[in-house]
Amino acid sequence: MTDAIKPGDKLSEAQAIERAKQGDAEAFEALYNLHKRRVYSLCLRMTANTAAAEDLTQEAFLQLFRKIGTFRGESAFSTWLHRMAVNVVLMQLRKKGLPVVSLEETMESDEETARKEPGGEDRRLAGSIDRLQLENSIAALPPGYRMIFLLHDVEGYEHNEIAGMVGCSIGNSKSQLHKARMKLRDLLKMSRAEKATRP
Amino acid sequence: MTMTCKEFERDLPLLEGVHSLEQDAHLRSCPACSDLVSDLNAISQQARLLEPSVGPSPRVWNSIEITLRHEGLIGQTPHEQVLRPIALGWRLRWLLPVAAVLLLAVGVLVRNRRAGEPFVATQQSSVSNSAGSAAVTSEAALMASQDQQLLNTVAARMPSMRDAYAADLRTVNAYVHDAEQSAHGNPNDEVSQQYLMNAYEQRAMVYEMALDRSLP
Repeated sequence: MTDAIKPGDKLSEAQAIERAKQGDAEAFEALYNLHKRRVYSLCLRMTANTAAAEDLTQEAFLQLFRKIGTFRGESAFSTWLHRMAVNVVLMQLRKKGLPVVSLEETMESDEETARKEPGGEDRRLAGSIDRLQLENSIAALPPGYRMIFLLHDVEGYEHNEIAGMVGCSIGNSKSQLHKARMKLRDLLKMSRAEKATRP
Repeated sequence: MTMTCKEFERDLPLLEGVHSLEQDAHLRSCPACSDLVSDLNAISQQARLLEPSVGPSPRVWNSIEITLRHEGLIGQTPHEQVLRPIALGWRLRWLLPVAAVLLLAVGVLVRNRRAGEPFVATQQSSVSNSAGSAAVTSEAALMASQDQQLLNTVAARMPSMRDAYAADLRTVNAYVHDAEQSAHGNPNDEVSQQYLMNAYEQRAMVYEMALDRSLP
């Protein structure tokens, strides 16, 4: 996904950043419009609540704009904004006392998790996962699993980065990711089985 | 000794797509584990393709802009700088005390909440209940009346801007409503209280901007 405004567009991202440092309202708005969907999607997937996601989106952009004078371009602007959004979400989850990372193992044993197969023909998922099913399944994950899965598989962070952000070990991050994917596999197979039984 | 399914699945979280010869051999001989790995890879690949779906409502940018102006991070544009200085006529002086009352009401409500008094009265007193509910209703009616007076004034001075400020007021009032709900449900939550303060400030800012920009 490209982030930069194409040449020839009204205002390039670099120009908007420089103008925003000078207090230009249009520049702030241009930067906001460029990145708002991705930040909001991240917050929405993490909170599963539109009002909370909007508040967190607002907070992330406000923190970014307050610090924009310090942006030197060492990293991509979108990366900087993205990290800020993740930190805002994590802070909010911690304030509410919600688990950022599942500290407990699942209630099921590893054997049960690995071998639990919904009834019906056992076929591979490859080629049959649609976007809506996956979004619904992600929303159904426990918050701790959802967080790690979103950060790694959706947003592309590495385990060492995730461990630093959420305050867990790299091994814990890998374990949580695996369990999230296993849980998603179960949910997607159940969803597919339900669809197949509908008239 | 060949690898068992249990051993393979135990190591799976740590593999990250790189398999040893023994693990590859197990995958070739075990359809169940092969299907499992295929499914997990498919899930991971599909997740990477998830695009941002929708954007936030317009109130988010409105709130951001108002806050940035309030904090002085947004300066006047060259267009705004050429506008003549504001001269409040006697017919508009009433709006200043309205803005002051709004901010005073915020202070009273925040103090009451911090003292533990509910925004809407509890069941402990039926008299308090009706008094509290009446207070909420009358406050909403007052806000609606103030909004209408502001819009009438803007319409009289600059008709083309009336609809824009009506939209801004709808947006900021929705924000106030959401913040009040959140603060009411979480009376001890400082974040909710701060959001409510921000919401009232933003409403006052809309009034201020409407006054600034609608005058000749």
